[in-house]
Amino acid sequence: MSVGTTGTAGRSSDPIIRVYHASKSYLPGTFALHDLTLEVHRGEFVFLTGPSGAGKTTLLKLLFSAERPTEGQIILRGRNIARLSAAAVPALRRRIGVVFQDYKLLQSRTVEENVAVALEVLGVPPREIRARVFSMLKQVGLQHRRTHHPLSLSGGEQQRVSIARALVNEPEILLADEPTGNLDPELTIEIMDLLANASLRGTTVMVATHDLGLIDRYGKRRLALEGGRLKDDIPAHRFT
Amino acid sequence: MRIGDQFTIHRAQYFLRSAVAGLRASPVTSLVAVVTIAMALLLIGVFLLLLENMDQVLDRFGESLVVTVYLENNVAEEDVQAFQSRFSSIEGVVGTVFVSKEEALDRFRHRVGDQGGLLDGLDENPLPPSFELSLEKERSSIESLALVAQSIDGIPGVDEVSYAQEWVSGYENFLSLARVIGAALGGVLAFAALLIVANTIQLTIYARRDELDILALVGASRTFAGVPFLLEGLLQGCAGGVSAVALLYVLYELLLPYTAAGWSFLLGNVPPQFLSDAGTLLIVAVGAGLGLLGSAVALTTAKRP
Repeated sequence: MSVGTTGTAGRSSDPIIRVYHASKSYLPGTFALHDLTLEVHRGEFVFLTGPSGAGKTTLLKLLFSAERPTEGQIILRGRNIARLSAAAVPALRRRIGVVFQDYKLLQSRTVEENVAVALEVLGVPPREIRARVFSMLKQVGLQHRRTHHPLSLSGGEQQRVSIARALVNEPEILLADEPTGNLDPELTIEIMDLLANASLRGTTVMVATHDLGLIDRYGKRRLALEGGRLKDDIPAHRFT
Repeated sequence: MRIGDQFTIHRAQYFLRSAVAGLRASPVTSLVAVVTIAMALLLIGVFLLLLENMDQVLDRFGESLVVTVYLENNVAEEDVQAFQSRFSSIEGVVGTVFVSKEEALDRFRHRVGDQGGLLDGLDENPLPPSFELSLEKERSSIESLALVAQSIDGIPGVDEVSYAQEWVSGYENFLSLARVIGAALGGVLAFAALLIVANTIQLTIYARRDELDILALVGASRTFAGVPFLLEGLLQGCAGGVSAVALLYVLYELLLPYTAAGWSFLLGNVPPQFLSDAGTLLIVAVGAGLGLLGSAVALTTAKRP
């Protein structure tokens, strides 16, 4: 399935994510994902929706190589990652930011250390790390909390740290799995705005959510999964 | 400085910071690992202390030794002069003392004390005349004594050459046995410590699985995520080694008055000494090795993302 999308005017029309007939099976005869085919273009913002067990998280895991597809191909930036060796996974992940519902922050480290870790992995010099982390924390409005530890922050603040970490190395793709699942409506909008802004700056953003109100509000492209299959692919213009 | 060097330095700084942060994040587990290493090394240290001191005895023993040259019983007066000048000319010999048959008997009589009267019944003095050769201080090792003895042995008129070689070789045999036992016990202790340390570090890895997950998520390679754990092991090992040496020193000093009899049994009149610098370094190095190897084993066996 190839879906031309809107909202990407002026950007390259090359698909950055291509999934061809991908299936993922954890047990013989049952499929978490089944024969899934889709394309996402550079700079696009896509919602991934569906009930629990629809395969949203599995698809995201395939995209950042936490799992391999049982069948099919996954092409990221022109490279097939379906059979990527374990040694090549870290290099792939350095180009992908990931945000989770439970934030996944290092509790023993401060806010700025949590964000810095994504740059330390790349071997960026400390002075540059400090500057980039500060600027990133400023973007998410947490520069005054940089020396705090995650546990002293609210849920919304922790998720902002997690987004800062995912974006600080300017990834081409940002994947978010229910990023607002633990947050109240006001904080949800705050977080979604940050993700939408990343998309405006050219990052391809894919957000798994079952919050239909959120999808209506932002009016972005929506990939609806059900039972591991792509049930619907609704372009962005229908909401705008 | 080249960019590559800077990269290495930044990496090293990051690894060290992470290792210290890791140690601070789980102080109790870290302490258990340090104490385990320290206990094993303390026992190894006790053996090393004993062995080093016994080695000292052999070294020092030579300094007080002389080579005794027993002459044939019927040696003539003028021959004694000839022997004296001949022995004096041997390289390393600084003193020659002639002990006549009569003097030997006197010494013997003096040594047996009250029972000296028994000697009065002898028809003839059975003790041979002898020379006692002392060596330069620098040459007073067992090896030098043996060389001097060898060069004298077989000279006509010389009956026997002695430098307490039997006692020395007996002590050497005892020392070799102690070394073997020490090495075997040390090996077993080190292996046991290694397993405990690996287990302890594996616990810290499980406790910090989240951290490894998160590092993997942001694209850290297994090496990048693993090096801080190896460094933690190394630091724990060094701390264990230093603690073991410190504890050994305290125990050695505190127990010295109570262990004097034991020391004098092993060392005679040579005063005991604490571990040499090399011994101290060895203990710390073994600790560092145990910590590093324990971490490596733990990292290899732990299931990682």
